[in-house]
Amino acid sequence: MPKPSDLIQGTLDLLILKTIAARPLHGWGIAKRIQSVSGEVFAIGQGSLYPALHRLEQQGWIAADWRDSELGRAAKFYTLTRAGRKQLERELESWSRLSSAMQLVIQQA
Amino acid sequence: MRMLHVLIRRFRSLFHRTAQDAELRREIDLHVEQLLRENRAAGMTEAAARRAAQLQFGATEARLDQCRDERRVQWIEDIGRDAGYALRLMRKSPAFTLTALLSLALGLGANTVVFSVYNALLLKPLPIPAADRVVFVDNSGRTSNSYPNYREMRDRNAVFSSLFAYRMAPMALEGNGGGGAAADRVWGYLVSGNYFEGLGLKPVVGRFFTPAEDGQPSASPYAVITYESWRNRFGGDPDIAGRQVRINGMPYTVLGVSPRGFHGTELFYWPEVFVPMAMQPQIEGHSWLDNPNDFDAWIGGRLKPGITTAEANANLATVAAQLVHERPVNDGMRLTVAPIGLGGSTLHQPTAAFGGGVLLLAMLVLLAACANLAALLMARGVDRERDLAVRVSLGAGRGRLVRQLLTEAITLALLGAAAGGLLALLLLRLLNHWRAPVDFPIRFDVSPDLRVFAVSLASAVATGVLFGLGPALRARKAVPALRLKGERHRGPGRLAARDFLLPVQLALCSLLVTTSLVAGRGLAASMQSPLGMQPDGAAMVGYDFGLAGYTRERALQLQRRVVERVSQLPGIAAAAFGSSVPLSIDQSHTSVWRDGTTAFRNKTSLSANYYDVSPGYFAALGTRLLAGRDFDDRDSAQAPAVAVVNETLARRLAGTASAVGRRFMLGKGETVEIVGVVETGKYNAITEDPTGALFRPMAQQYNPTMVLLARGRRNETDMAIALRGAVNQLDPHLAIYGVGTLRDMLGFVYLPMRAAVITLGAFGILALMLSFTGIFGLSAYAVSQRAKEIGIRIALGAGRREVLQSVFARIGLLVAIGAAAGLALGAAGAGLLASVVYAAGNGQPVIIAGAVAAVGAVALAAAYGPARRVLRTDPLRSLRYDG
Repeated sequence: MPKPSDLIQGTLDLLILKTIAARPLHGWGIAKRIQSVSGEVFAIGQGSLYPALHRLEQQGWIAADWRDSELGRAAKFYTLTRAGRKQLERELESWSRLSSAMQLVIQQA
Repeated sequence: MRMLHVLIRRFRSLFHRTAQDAELRREIDLHVEQLLRENRAAGMTEAAARRAAQLQFGATEARLDQCRDERRVQWIEDIGRDAGYALRLMRKSPAFTLTALLSLALGLGANTVVFSVYNALLLKPLPIPAADRVVFVDNSGRTSNSYPNYREMRDRNAVFSSLFAYRMAPMALEGNGGGGAAADRVWGYLVSGNYFEGLGLKPVVGRFFTPAEDGQPSASPYAVITYESWRNRFGGDPDIAGRQVRINGMPYTVLGVSPRGFHGTELFYWPEVFVPMAMQPQIEGHSWLDNPNDFDAWIGGRLKPGITTAEANANLATVAAQLVHERPVNDGMRLTVAPIGLGGSTLHQPTAAFGGGVLLLAMLVLLAACANLAALLMARGVDRERDLAVRVSLGAGRGRLVRQLLTEAITLALLGAAAGGLLALLLLRLLNHWRAPVDFPIRFDVSPDLRVFAVSLASAVATGVLFGLGPALRARKAVPALRLKGERHRGPGRLAARDFLLPVQLALCSLLVTTSLVAGRGLAASMQSPLGMQPDGAAMVGYDFGLAGYTRERALQLQRRVVERVSQLPGIAAAAFGSSVPLSIDQSHTSVWRDGTTAFRNKTSLSANYYDVSPGYFAALGTRLLAGRDFDDRDSAQAPAVAVVNETLARRLAGTASAVGRRFMLGKGETVEIVGVVETGKYNAITEDPTGALFRPMAQQYNPTMVLLARGRRNETDMAIALRGAVNQLDPHLAIYGVGTLRDMLGFVYLPMRAAVITLGAFGILALMLSFTGIFGLSAYAVSQRAKEIGIRIALGAGRREVLQSVFARIGLLVAIGAAAGLALGAAGAGLLASVVYAAGNGQPVIIAGAVAAVGAVALAAAYGPARRVLRTDPLRSLRYDG
């Protein structure tokens, strides 16, 4: 079963899953969307997106297929699978636990 | 489930490496292109745009590598590496590898053989469509039923889509193109017309006969032959359908050929010809088709769809109740369904019981081999510990170590299984080609199928896990710092779980040795047990006067002349005819009643084996006459009915062995006088309880099937040939079968027991070998563990004896525990054998104690070697411990 991921990796996974939950996207689209939605905070190291996508695909959380894209040629589109949707729920939950815990610590310390 | 998907994806990526890489590169290229375009759009120069894109994306090649890492099938590659390492290690210690592989090959090979046989006898379905719906109908635990009963059952039952009857019968077949006019005696089936239809078979050539063609008695001369007979006897003649042959001198038309591999509905019996049941009177010489007192038909059927065994049994009970009510002879009849193929439950139950027992023993051998290997691995683990400790200190995960050790064990087990599998295949081939030395188409088809392969593979892996797990889990607890110094973190005093490997193994081995001794002794005892005849010095030839078209008068005449002629041959002391001889396959049974009985019911009847014999039969067979006289010319057809009975039947009929002059009754109310009493022998099986036997003079009770029997001082085989020659001179056309010695014929009766003794004997020897190697390994391990302590003792001046004592005390304790358990197990195991092996129950305690003592002695002998080595070691060296 999946290993507990460390914070950074887990965060990136969560971001990817959340981004494609709404609609299938290709790598470039995911990168742009994370960038714009996060207010350009997550702009650096776009390359690290691909190992993460790869990992998620291996785990069976996302599925990929080549489709024609708005970029003028075929791109690999990623879709959330049923298992991926469950994983997203789990990650969201643990993220909200973590962030509220962080919040508490920061406020009270 | 999800784990499976991940696995499949990873396996796929193992083989599609380059394709995935190319795809990934396209993806990344597209991304970088978009970055470039954005940068250009933002007004950068071409070079600046490229540099910025590089920075934004990161190093492309490194990303590719990262992706490859993500999808790498880590553990598969690990297993490959571990297996390679295991193989290298095995090469490095050939003695260990050879011992281990040998025990594994023997253990796993024995299992494969035993399971193949078990599979063939009890699991493999007959080669017919939907074989699981075809069952046998048992008659109160007996095999056969009467044909009138069969007809009623067929018409009244509500649970069978088809209920058929069959019977094995010898036939004289002519006109198969083999040249010459001589008839071949072949074995066949008489079957009811719905037999093939009920089994759902399709002919490979021509057609089968139908229920309509099984109508008028002796008016349906049709035959169906088996595929094998077609190929071998008829040379695969493509125009076989419609061909004329002669069976028992009468023309028959061959209608078709049954499918390849089909050999009737009994596992061991391989008939060649199928003939409609209506031809029974012509085939067997006398008709029992309308006789409700003759129980000669075997009944099987195909259950209707959806009908369960319980429903079938309930319906059959209703039919049986009606039949009992209508025919007193059916008194007490119970009809039940049983698996088909082994004569209903009569053979099936003992076969299942014995097969299960042997399977269990085979598994115990494997278990003993596991304990043995675990011990050897642990002993060797002493050397491996430092190696493992180095790995742990270099950062190897504990789980990874366990995996490596398990891989090693399973690699070993699989290699052993491969070797064992080869051994098993060889043995099974021999078994498949083996033909019983009897006049009966007995064959075994024990060819291993997919199920056997699967079970062998599974047991190999299970074996590997079983013997590898202990040492592997121990490695997890390795404490690197101590191990590197050669220290153990555990004192020598306590008994650990693994110490019980030795007693477990000893107990198992004691059990195996006990069973093999019991079996061996049983065989010896049965060879000496009173058979009620002298098997040595007698020869026999079988004839069928019925098949040759003899009338009763002519047959009796010829018989007298043959006896006269044979008696004059040099070296012949006695010669006689009989319908059959005890312990041959052809046994008849009859019911008799005490004198004065008025109601001839089943409950009051006494069962006896039944023989029609000529004067001099007892002398020729070597059976002692205890009282009264043998038959002679006085006992003609016109004279009062007389009989000779054996001692057992005499006691049952008259309450005393001196029953000469007393009378008893046959079923039809006929009264018979006893004129002689002979010793009780064995009639159906060596292991049977005392059985009644009844002999009638052939002049009063004619039987067309006859065995000519002669006893003399000449070589038995020569005598058999001389007998045959004498008969040939009197009638050159008489078909002869079953020429041989009495001893040969007994081979069949001894067969199950011989098989048991050989199997169990092999297990016993295997067990002794295993216990020796296992205990040697364990004591070597135990001693090396205590090398330091012993070194100190010697350095402090302890003598040889004290040291040996301290070593042996511990091993002795373990041996004692094992021996105690072995005693209990041995008693249980010997009990299992009682049904197959003669006199298995006698003298058990002595045998069990002897077996346990033998295993114990072997154990101590095996322990002596390592113990002595300790004494010779230099105390300083063992204190330093450098391997």
